[in-house]
Amino acid sequence: MILGVALAVFGAAVPAFGSPYLMGVVFQVAMWIALAQSWSMLSATTGYLSLGHAVFYGVGAYVCVLLTGTIPFELALLAAAAAAALFAALVGMPVLRVRGPYFVILTYGLSELVRHVVMRIESALGSFGRMIFDVPATEVLLWWMVGLAVLATLGAYAIRHSRFGAGLAAIREDEVAAETVGVPVTRLKLLAFIASAAIPGAVGGLALLRTSYFEPAQAFDPVISFTIVTMALVGGTETVRGPILGAVGFALLSELLWSSLPQLYMIVLGVTLIAFILFVPRGLSGLVGRIGRAG
Amino acid sequence: MKRPTRLASAALATAIALTAAGAAIAQDPITIGYSIARTGIYAAAAPSQENPYKLWQTQVNAEGGLELPDGVRRPVEFVSYDDQSNPANTVRIYEKLITQDEVDLLAAPWGTPMHLALAPVLQRFKMPMVGNTAASVQLRNVAPGYIWFPTSAIPDTMGAELAKMMQAEGVQSVALLANELPYSQEFRSFLIPALEEAGIEVMVDESYPPDIKDMTSMLVEVRDAAPDAVVAMTYPSDAFLFAGQAKELGIEAPFVMSLIGPTIDAYRKANGTAVNGVVSSAHWSPEAVDWPKGQAFFDAYVEAFGEEPDALDSALAYMSLEILQQAVAEVGLDPEALREEIASGTFDTINGEVRFDGVQNVVTPTGFVQIQDGKIELVWPEAVKTADYAPKQGW
Amino acid sequence: MDTLLSGQLLFAALVSGSLYALVALGLNLVYGTLRLLNIAHGDLVMIGAYTAFWAISLLAIPPVVSLVIAAALCALLGWAVYAGLFRRMLARPDLAKRVEANSLILFYGISVILQNLAALAFTSTSRGYQYLDTVITWQCVSMTGNRLLSLGVAAAVCFGTLLFLRFHLFGWSLRAVIQRREAAQVVGVNLNRVQMLTICAGFAVAGVAGVLVSMTEQITPFMGFPFTIVAFVVIIIGGLGNIGAGVLAGFCLGLVETYGIALTSPGYRSILIYGLFVGVLLLRPEGIFTKAVRS
Repeated sequence: MILGVALAVFGAAVPAFGSPYLMGVVFQVAMWIALAQSWSMLSATTGYLSLGHAVFYGVGAYVCVLLTGTIPFELALLAAAAAAALFAALVGMPVLRVRGPYFVILTYGLSELVRHVVMRIESALGSFGRMIFDVPATEVLLWWMVGLAVLATLGAYAIRHSRFGAGLAAIREDEVAAETVGVPVTRLKLLAFIASAAIPGAVGGLALLRTSYFEPAQAFDPVISFTIVTMALVGGTETVRGPILGAVGFALLSELLWSSLPQLYMIVLGVTLIAFILFVPRGLSGLVGRIGRAG
Repeated sequence: MKRPTRLASAALATAIALTAAGAAIAQDPITIGYSIARTGIYAAAAPSQENPYKLWQTQVNAEGGLELPDGVRRPVEFVSYDDQSNPANTVRIYEKLITQDEVDLLAAPWGTPMHLALAPVLQRFKMPMVGNTAASVQLRNVAPGYIWFPTSAIPDTMGAELAKMMQAEGVQSVALLANELPYSQEFRSFLIPALEEAGIEVMVDESYPPDIKDMTSMLVEVRDAAPDAVVAMTYPSDAFLFAGQAKELGIEAPFVMSLIGPTIDAYRKANGTAVNGVVSSAHWSPEAVDWPKGQAFFDAYVEAFGEEPDALDSALAYMSLEILQQAVAEVGLDPEALREEIASGTFDTINGEVRFDGVQNVVTPTGFVQIQDGKIELVWPEAVKTADYAPKQGW
Repeated sequence: MDTLLSGQLLFAALVSGSLYALVALGLNLVYGTLRLLNIAHGDLVMIGAYTAFWAISLLAIPPVVSLVIAAALCALLGWAVYAGLFRRMLARPDLAKRVEANSLILFYGISVILQNLAALAFTSTSRGYQYLDTVITWQCVSMTGNRLLSLGVAAAVCFGTLLFLRFHLFGWSLRAVIQRREAAQVVGVNLNRVQMLTICAGFAVAGVAGVLVSMTEQITPFMGFPFTIVAFVVIIIGGLGNIGAGVLAGFCLGLVETYGIALTSPGYRSILIYGLFVGVLLLRPEGIFTKAVRS
């Protein structure tokens, strides 16, 4: 909670004082916090590991690019979030019946399926990548992104500390047992799925406005899904601060590495990832907790 | 209200830095920043662009450095980062290059999306950059300012020129196969009306996804239709697939084009004599007598990297730096003076004369190359060709 | 209709089907015995491809010989990965509990390292070489020598493995581990040994597939990912850990792809494949062939 507030203050301070480069970094960090935190609303609480969150990001970006120019960008972003949530609501029922590793792969496959469908639509429409003119200033986009990060964090916090969250935790521990004692598992899972989809939709729209160019292959890039999962797991899925720590740590580490070790940084990143899983199984969050208790 | 102040202070800082640099000893290096896709989906294309950058740097430094208007030469140093094939990173990297690393000059990243994403950034920081590996009619929508595109392989003129060339070679029917990625689709959309106008019948028109793994059924359809020409609007990975399977199925059309791929060294190594006669898009050849610098570049490249330069991307990358070099020799490092110079000057490159009108190079003609005996020959247009087009004799 | 019945399409379907089956076989072995989601699987294909390329370019060793070299090299890598990382992970209850999520991240790290090491060592310039590309025509079916070789080797390895699993004692213990892990240990199966040999075998099979692929495709450090995806699609359709069904599913995917394109249009190729995949998961998450075929 305190972390969230600190984050908001920090984010707010940046446009006023920061250099464009710093603003770029904060935009990036806020983006990953928003995505990892949204992801945790479903995957950390229920244990249903989604490897397809790029689909919500992509749907948001697509809706946003279609609407840009017709309505103010704020509304386009809301529409992006709504479209992503709607999509989750539509596919949620059948998708959430699938469990374990099957769910992991299914979400990935779903994201790829939508990517190819959008590519097909775009090529049928005779559109060859869409360019956006007159995007809002970087400061404005940064404000929005920080806002989404804070919103996602508050949302994740609220879910975990509610009866809703308790129900989701019961699903993670033993879904069959939870259902037997009367937890409405299907409805809870679906709600969590929708909740975890909305913000990534808006994030996709914002990221699109920043690069001012849309191409389906990039908007639905599977690397986005992988990065989200990586950050959340490295941060630790047991607490709300986990995804924040993961996103900040991972984004800053890669920022530090790519500017100082341009040739080797991906390799170092890979090694760090492996070391983390093996030696810090509860993630950064667990590590911080341990140090906190020790000190 | 913060922005104007910051811009003013940035401008002031630049001015001070420039004065200081002018007074500094001649050995103080000139820094040139760029981002490139070392990882991710575009990574395979990056060396064809980064190698010419490195070659240019070696050559310039061997001459004592980059020449400034006062005759002083300063060595060139690159500052480069990996954009992971992601335009969002490209934007961030150039912001960093301009504001943190305070590079003197900028070189271009790889690819159309990256160029398009960069245009507003350059405008905002008023830093000129000569683009290279970007081609799309959308480039023309970019407001003229701080970015230029030397390529003449823009889909609309290419479509018209290809139809003209096919008509000249007596082609009456054609099969079109197009990758679903933007560049191919854009080219296809301009090619079809041009073909119609030229009276060439389109017998097959299929689009396929970029991750296609087998083209047999498509090519069987082409073989059964037996058109005079096959235009495969490929990207590199499916260009390999197309060549292998067209050979397997014995596609007999005398005119075979593969859009992107055949100019890559590995393509010819993998397919050998089978791909002799394949036409591709590029507007440069080392053989052209009118462009004497071309052969020197080709030889130096082969010596440095052990393979041939890509006739499209490598040539463009090198050209973009030649333009920058000549502009700097004329007006120095001041971004505004450079912008003026690039926008209005005429440059002598490995691809002949280059001059910009708005964002586009208006001199270099749109051309096509053909693989002949394993070599890339420019066969279109008449005015600059290095060899005559020869119908493909089987695979 | 003539085209549909011609041997040409069947040949194409068998060539791609056998390759899919082969790539998926390696992945399925590793998932079946160790429950590891190996998303670095495609990168082993890349290593196999580079092995063949350098062997023929520098040492004039033909790809037929490289099959053995690549298999050995990848098996060695499998051993290193198992001994260095996974024995440790599987032995620790807190890590083993979330084995799927953890292995996903671990292999993501390995994948990043392999890709970037290859890029660093070989540059990312695409490579290719010419081998056995004469066209043989038999009964109106034209076949390139290298594709015929690819079909032969892939089919031989697939069916060889199936026979081995059915008739060799080690094959029995491997199947025992896949089906009843705890029980297998009770009846005296050396779990550690079975796991190590299986991961070596799984990696080696991917290396073999890489050599086959290198004869017809361009070779780059980042070529592997699509193979990882195809392999997952195949083993999901067949049923995770069901080796025989996986091989069958590989061939089926080849048939669906080739005939699907012939019946509709090439533009629907990827939509068809991912649609089938998502459809199977939604309707029969345990795989279509689980009841029909038992390996």
